[in-house]
Amino acid sequence: MIELLKLMRNKRMFMLMIGFILFIAVIGYSLSDRKELSWPEKFLKDSTAYVQQWFYKPAGYIAGFFEDIRNMKTIYEENEQLRITAAAYSRDKIKYNFIEKENERYKEELRFTKQQEEMFNYKYLIAQVIAVSNDANNRTLSINLGSKNGIKPNMAVTTVKGLIGIVRSVTPFTASVTPITELNETSQSFNPVAVTILGRVDESFGILSNYNKETSRLVMTKIAEDDKMEFQDTVITSGLGGVYPRGLVVGTVENKQLGDFGLTYTATVKLAASFDHLTEVFVVSVPELEEAEQ
Amino acid sequence: MSMNRIVLLMFLVFILEGTVMPWIIPAGFGHRIMPHFVFVIVIFSGLYSRRHLALLLGVSFGMLQDIVYFGHLLGINAFFMGLMGYFTGVLFERRRSTIMMAISVVGFACILYDSVIYFIYSVFRITSESYAWALIDHILPSLFLQLAFALACYVPVRKLFEGQSKATAENDEE
Repeated sequence: MIELLKLMRNKRMFMLMIGFILFIAVIGYSLSDRKELSWPEKFLKDSTAYVQQWFYKPAGYIAGFFEDIRNMKTIYEENEQLRITAAAYSRDKIKYNFIEKENERYKEELRFTKQQEEMFNYKYLIAQVIAVSNDANNRTLSINLGSKNGIKPNMAVTTVKGLIGIVRSVTPFTASVTPITELNETSQSFNPVAVTILGRVDESFGILSNYNKETSRLVMTKIAEDDKMEFQDTVITSGLGGVYPRGLVVGTVENKQLGDFGLTYTATVKLAASFDHLTEVFVVSVPELEEAEQ
Repeated sequence: MSMNRIVLLMFLVFILEGTVMPWIIPAGFGHRIMPHFVFVIVIFSGLYSRRHLALLLGVSFGMLQDIVYFGHLLGINAFFMGLMGYFTGVLFERRRSTIMMAISVVGFACILYDSVIYFIYSVFRITSESYAWALIDHILPSLFLQLAFALACYVPVRKLFEGQSKATAENDEE
């Protein structure tokens, strides 16, 4: 004790201790289960984002110009492929319209409630990325839509290629997106994602519980033994967990093996979306269910 | 005047770090090369200015980074940026460091800073990767970017901070 008091006499040591206690206190505060950010945080984030948005997009245009020149060669092949896809799309579109009409008629005949009808009527809000974090373990993206635009925490965020993450926190004019690469069983900030396979929605089931940074693959667990999941199958969200909307592409199955306890299978999933050079993302807004219940 | 300029320039660097750098880093390396330019400038301020200025700049810009990119924890960058700026000041502020000295100090500081942040995150179970992997994956690749930046901005930043500390010294004498 006396030793400690002697140490405390040293001013520098004392200040260090105070600083350390403050540091622990701030970490504790940020770990606590808060619903909203405090106002100084909101103010700082919004004002920084205001400046950041002048830089990110122009930089993207300039970088995109050079990338376009580099891609010139592959553009012919790409065009060929797109034409084939477009032809397939127009065929499917006719089929889809027909089925949609039929589906609507069935819903009417079965007397679906308003809530049931609106349940899967998702709104896709387009947002611009304004900054990317430079911390390797915390790759938060900032986007330029906030609570004023109806963004709420836990909304799913996708690109045209696939799911990239969820909204972690919102300020009036910006939102922070936690990428799906931070998915971790032990961390509290990310909920596991219930997924299924495109084309076999009611037969397959799995839960994305982890992202393995060393192999850059998602780990999908709790797959039933008789599941006919195969290599290169497209993984989509199933909407069963309640947090994520259904039908968002996540990635493709790479392999399937017996899980830790031998009762279920695990699979590794390659992400469809890439996190480099992001410009536009879509925030998926699920229609309010609570209001309908009241 | 000079102090205002330092803060303004550092804020600009902070903005560029999050907006322009992701575009300059080639696709596929986005999660491996991390710019920590503000940290490099904080270390320079410890080397060529007073330690208290380094502490102040480190804590305030660290806190700014923590808040703007809040994901899991608050205050890590603020605490360690401030602490490391301060201790660089304690060790080196009285010597006139040469360029080699400055660059190697920046290099060691960057490795230490990234490692400490990695360990804090692994204590709170936010990452579960091994340290050896983190070292190869992002700590060493980003080190090269930081060293390149330190080399590029060495002359202007040194002038800025030495001018600043000279100005304050004269003010003190008056």
